[in-house]
Amino acid sequence: MTTPHGETEQPAPTTVCPRCAAAEFGELAVSPVPGAWRVLRCDRCLYSWRTTEPARRSSRAAYPERFRMSRADIDEAPRLPPVPDIREDTR
Amino acid sequence: MSYDDLRSYLAALDRQGQLLHVTERVDPEPDLGAAANAANRLGERAPALYFDNVTGFESARIAVNAHGSWANHAIAFDLPPETPTRDQVREFIRRWENFPVPVERRQDPPWAENTLDGAEVNLFDVLPLFRLNDGDGGFYLDKAAVVSRDPEDPDNLDRQNVGTYRMEVKGTNRLGLQPVPMHDIALHLDAAERRGEDLPVAVALGNDPVISVVAGTPLGHEQSEYEMAGALRGAPAPVSRAPRTGLDVPWGSEVVLEGVIEARERELEGPFGEFTGHYSGGRNMPVLRVDRISHRTDPIFESLYLGMPWTEVDYLIGPATCVPLYQQLRADFPEVRAVNAMYTHGLLAVVSTGRRYGGFARAVGLRAMTTPHGLGYCKTVIVVDEDVDPFDLPQVMWALSTKVNPACDLVNLPNMSVLELDPGSQPPGITNKLVIDATTPVAPDERGHYGQPVTDLPETAAWIDRLTTLLAERGGDR
Repeated sequence: MTTPHGETEQPAPTTVCPRCAAAEFGELAVSPVPGAWRVLRCDRCLYSWRTTEPARRSSRAAYPERFRMSRADIDEAPRLPPVPDIREDTR
Repeated sequence: MSYDDLRSYLAALDRQGQLLHVTERVDPEPDLGAAANAANRLGERAPALYFDNVTGFESARIAVNAHGSWANHAIAFDLPPETPTRDQVREFIRRWENFPVPVERRQDPPWAENTLDGAEVNLFDVLPLFRLNDGDGGFYLDKAAVVSRDPEDPDNLDRQNVGTYRMEVKGTNRLGLQPVPMHDIALHLDAAERRGEDLPVAVALGNDPVISVVAGTPLGHEQSEYEMAGALRGAPAPVSRAPRTGLDVPWGSEVVLEGVIEARERELEGPFGEFTGHYSGGRNMPVLRVDRISHRTDPIFESLYLGMPWTEVDYLIGPATCVPLYQQLRADFPEVRAVNAMYTHGLLAVVSTGRRYGGFARAVGLRAMTTPHGLGYCKTVIVVDEDVDPFDLPQVMWALSTKVNPACDLVNLPNMSVLELDPGSQPPGITNKLVIDATTPVAPDERGHYGQPVTDLPETAAWIDRLTTLLAERGGDR
């Protein structure tokens, strides 16, 4: 894979979530053609990625700063839409 | 001729040279998203793209950019591909007048060929999912029709809603769904959650082209999208009953998911590169649990690239945004001549209108903001005279440059509602809104010096015909 700037992007082995750096992630899917790729999902921020994606999406080191999520970003994410109150007559 | 499914529409695009079948092997990322993005940059005759050789998949069939040019939008409505944009909008308005057209109920939908139920459900087994933009939180379903009913009135089919909402695939049977507060599904979900109940939904993927248009059209709360599809197609929309939920879904879909939006559940979703040309933030959003998948054998997965306009979504919902605003304004103000709300789903709209008296034009602009769609959009409304074509942007720029005096012609309204995805809103969902009155003042508004306009000469129309003929004859000589 070659970027528009000419440098080569090589997916690195995954050890942490590219987006939030959590060490806990699981396997969501494997390629129908055996061995081609896996899809992983972070247990904490729910980011999912294919192991063959460019490093800018699949490697913590190359993941862009502007897309990273901190613990605070995750904990303080707004709830939309707000959960309404239960109606009195259904309680 | 109307299309009953995505396949017949893709075949029509192919016959008219508007479908490019990419046969060489591509990677799911970044190739599919980048190719769809690139198609959007090819101009008004950009084709749909079809891929069936994707690394790691055995039988992926993927269509993108099906609506992504004026030529394709015309073919979707069975018009000649060279039909000018404003004529496509006019035809949309003309067909709208036939609403409602009752649906045609059909048995044996092709999506009933294969079923996965309960523990068998795995979205990755059926859909060749892929990421569109770098900052997306995952793989998305972004061109599906989501069907729900009002829990307070479940037998009222006029309140059955068919809408397009982005959905992030977060598990083998789990989707995150974004219900914009101004849209009907948010009302249905709110009613269900107040009762403490899950909201049953069906998700139809890979549909005929008019279903995709009406699912993105801001209809009234009690206007049926299927009955509007019938009007726009010129033939009743074929629908079938989804077996688990009993909801009406398109007969011709490629894949139908059924399940529930889990009551009172929110989970991290996003970000996603949106139609605003900006990413939404990561928010805790409702969760849709898929309990059943029905699908054609070898289904085609349809996806839509969106990002910095124009992309496919702008063609898909451009005319579909203009026409309901036009109809709703005309209901109160028959002087309204045309509405161009094709910019970012109508975050900006241009309205041309006749004027009864001074101050009338800005009232029309304010009314646009209080239509159902305007509550979440119409952040800026430019009002122009009836002889200015809102689809002719040089004419609109002329009106802005000569008819506007900022001292009096800007109506700035504080703290109005807008969809939360508007990146300029602060806090999200709240914004000032602006009417720009670019009409010529009329009595008793006597401002400016507009008494001597330069108009086309009386003989000009005849000369246009004469010159056109001469040019055609010259072309014939060469």
